[in-house]
Amino acid sequence: MRITRKTVAGTAAAVGTTLVLAACSSTASPEASGSPDADGDAAALESVKMCVLVADVTSSEALSFRDYYTQYVASEFPVEFVYSDELADAEAEKTAMEGFIANNCEAVISFASADRPTQLDMAEDAGIYYAVATGALSEEEYETFKDYEYYVGAIGPDVMTEYQAGYDMAQYFIGEGDTSFGIFGGGIPYYLEMHIYRAAGMLAALAEDPTTSYGGATEMGDILGKIYADGTINIGDFESDVYELTGYLETWDFDAAWQASMADMVGASPDAILAVGTGNAILGSAVDGTGIQIGDIDAYTEDNLAAMENGTLGYLAGKFTSINGPIFAATYSAVVGEPYRTEDGSAFALSQGYWTATSAEEFQEIIDADNVETPVYDADTLTPFIAQGATFDEFADFVSKYTFADLAG
Amino acid sequence: MHDLNPTDVSKETDVPVDTRNDATAKAADKAESTAKAEAKAASKARRSKLFADLAPLIGLAVLAIAFVVVGTSSGTNMSYALETLINQSVIIVIIATGAIFIFAMGSFDISLGASTLVAAMVAGLVHNATGSLWLMLGAAVLTAVVTSLISATLAAVFNLPVFVTTVAMLSVLGAVASALVQTTGGAQIRVDRSFAREYDTLTVKLIVAAVFIALCVFLFNYTRLGRVEKLIGGNPITAKLTGVSMKLTAIAAFGIAGLGVGLGAFLTVLRTPTLTVTSASDIGMNILVAMVFGGMVISGGPRSRIYAAIIGGISMALLNQTMAIMLQGMAGGAGIAQMVRAVLFLAVVWLAASGFRTKVLPR
Repeated sequence: MRITRKTVAGTAAAVGTTLVLAACSSTASPEASGSPDADGDAAALESVKMCVLVADVTSSEALSFRDYYTQYVASEFPVEFVYSDELADAEAEKTAMEGFIANNCEAVISFASADRPTQLDMAEDAGIYYAVATGALSEEEYETFKDYEYYVGAIGPDVMTEYQAGYDMAQYFIGEGDTSFGIFGGGIPYYLEMHIYRAAGMLAALAEDPTTSYGGATEMGDILGKIYADGTINIGDFESDVYELTGYLETWDFDAAWQASMADMVGASPDAILAVGTGNAILGSAVDGTGIQIGDIDAYTEDNLAAMENGTLGYLAGKFTSINGPIFAATYSAVVGEPYRTEDGSAFALSQGYWTATSAEEFQEIIDADNVETPVYDADTLTPFIAQGATFDEFADFVSKYTFADLAG
Repeated sequence: MHDLNPTDVSKETDVPVDTRNDATAKAADKAESTAKAEAKAASKARRSKLFADLAPLIGLAVLAIAFVVVGTSSGTNMSYALETLINQSVIIVIIATGAIFIFAMGSFDISLGASTLVAAMVAGLVHNATGSLWLMLGAAVLTAVVTSLISATLAAVFNLPVFVTTVAMLSVLGAVASALVQTTGGAQIRVDRSFAREYDTLTVKLIVAAVFIALCVFLFNYTRLGRVEKLIGGNPITAKLTGVSMKLTAIAAFGIAGLGVGLGAFLTVLRTPTLTVTSASDIGMNILVAMVFGGMVISGGPRSRIYAAIIGGISMALLNQTMAIMLQGMAGGAGIAQMVRAVLFLAVVWLAASGFRTKVLPR
C-alpha cells in the first residue's frame, strides 16, 4: 500500500477520534457505591475525587497499595482515585499537581517526596486537601506547614521507626549467629532519609559489640553524622573483632559498574545481606542458591513470600497491603468537612511501623490476614473514622494500634 | 526541457507541407502537454510546500480545539488548565527557540537538558549565597552561555562534528551536576520557596519569553546571521565557498542557544526550587519533539523556521494536557499517552517531510 499524506493524516485523525471517544467513556463521574456504614445505614457520604501522587508505579509494594485503593476502597466508599504517572523529580510532581488541580481533584494523597513543600503550597493555594502516606515530613517542614488549612497530616514511619527497623533487622541476624554482612544502602547517596536511618540502625546494632565501631562511631547520632558527611557507607571504616562487613552496594543504577559491585558483594559470601529496602527485588536472584540470606524492609507481596519460602529472604519488616487505610479515612473526612486536627489545631503527624516476618509461615499468616480482598483496614474498621464524628484522640489511638496482634491477632 | 521550433523542423526534415503542419501540431501539442505537466508539478509542489508549511499550524489549531472540547466536556477548570499550559510550555519554548539557531545549521545539541540543569544549579547556589534575583539570573545565563560556547569551541578547535562535542559535554555536565549537589551536603539544591513563588508568575515568564523570542526572530529573520545559518544547513560546502566562517557562525549560534538555556534555567529554578540530579532530565528530548511538532526540519537549512519552537512547544503542551484529561484514572494511561504521542510525532514528521520531496531546490 502506498502511504500518502492522506493516509497518515487519516491515521492521526483516527487516533485522535478514538481517544476522544475513549475519554468520553473514561471521564464519567464516579459512582457513589455507598457501602453500609458501621451502623448498617446506607452511606450518605458524598462522592469524592482523590488524586494520588506516586513516585513508583512498578514495584509490588506500590501495586498492592494501588490495588487496595482502586479495588477495595473504591468499591466500598464513594471515591474515585486518579493516579499520577511515575514521578521522577520535583518538576514531574509539580506537573502532576497542576493536572490534578485543573481536573478538580478534591484531595491529594502523596507517596512522592521529591519536593513536598511545593506540593503543599500548591494544594493550599488551590484549596484542595493534601495528605502524606507511608511517610512523614521532617520536623522543620512540619513546623512550617502544620497550620496550613488544607494540610491533613501524615501517617507513616517516622525516622526513629526507620532507625529501629534497621536495628531490629541486624539484631535478628546477630541472634542467628551471623557474623559477616553485606549492606545494600539503596538511596543513601541521594540522602534518602529513611534509608540513612535504617542503615544507621543496622550499624548501631553491630556497634553494640565493644570491639565494633563505624569510623569510631558507636552511637546513633555519631553514625548518622558520619553517613550524612560521607553520603555513603565506607566499609573500610568499619572496625570489629567480631563482625565483618564484606561488601556494600547502593543505588539502582544497574550499569556495568553497579553489576560488578553487586557481584563482589555476593561473591564475598557474607552470612547475610542487610538491605535498607528493595533487597529481594534487587538481590534475590543473585543470592539464590548461595546460602546468603537477605534481610529486607519492604512490603508483604507474593514475590517476597516466594523468596522467604525458598530461603533467600530471611527477615522482612514490611508494610502491609492496607496500611494506607487510615490516611484515606482522614483525607476523606477532611474533604467532607470533618478534618482531624491536633489539640492546638494543627495537622497531625502520626507514626506507624512495620510488621515483621522471619519465616514463610509467619509471612503467610500475615498475607492471609491482610490482602486486597480482605484487608485488616476494611470498610467496617474504617467507617467509624470517616466523617462519623470521631475525635482526633480516637483517631490517633486507632492509628497507633497498627501491629499484627492489634489488627489481626 | 525541449523547445521545438516548427520552422527548424521543416528545414531539417524537408517533408510535404501538410506533413510538416502535422508534425508541427504534434510538437506543439507535446510542448503544451509538457508545459501543462510542468505547471501541474509546480502547482503540486507549491501545494505540498504550503501544506507542509501550514501543517504545524493546522495541528496546533486541531489540538487547541481538542483541548477545549475535551476539557469543557470533562468539567476541567479551563482557566487553570490554560495557565498550566503556559507554565509547562514556556521553558521548552524559550530553550527550543534558541536551539533553532543550532539546528538550522544542520547541527544537533544533545546536551541542552544537562546544560539547563547545571545552569539552574549554579543559579540556585548563587541565589542561596547572595539572595539576589539579578545575580541568580546572571549566573544562569553566564553558566549556560559558557557551557554552550565550550561545546562550539571544542568543535571548532578540534574540527569535530558539534554533535560529538555535545555528547561529551552531556557526560561532563552530568558529573558537574552531581558535584554541585554534593556541595550542599544533601541530595538537593533548595532555593527559598517563598522567593521562588514570588517570581514564578505568568508575567515574569511571558516577559522573559517575549523579549528572548523577539530577539531571536530579529536575528534569525532580519540579519545576516540567520541567512548564513540557513545557508550552512542547506549546503555547507556552498556556504564555505561563499566565504562564510563556519566556526564563527557556529559559535554565534551556540551563544544564542546558551542564552536561551540560561533563561530557561532561570525560570526552572523559579518553577521548581528543589533541584536534584534528575531535574530537567527530559528537557532535551522535549525540545527536539517540540521543534519537530512545530515543523522544524531536523536537517536544518532554508526551511528552518524560528517560530517552529513556539508552535511546537504549545502544541506539545496542548497534547499533553488533552491526553492527561482524557486518560486520567485509566489503567495504563501513561503508556497509551506515550504511544499516541509517538504516532502523532511520526505523522507530523511524515507530513512535514512529504512536502519537501520535490526536484526543485528549496527557496
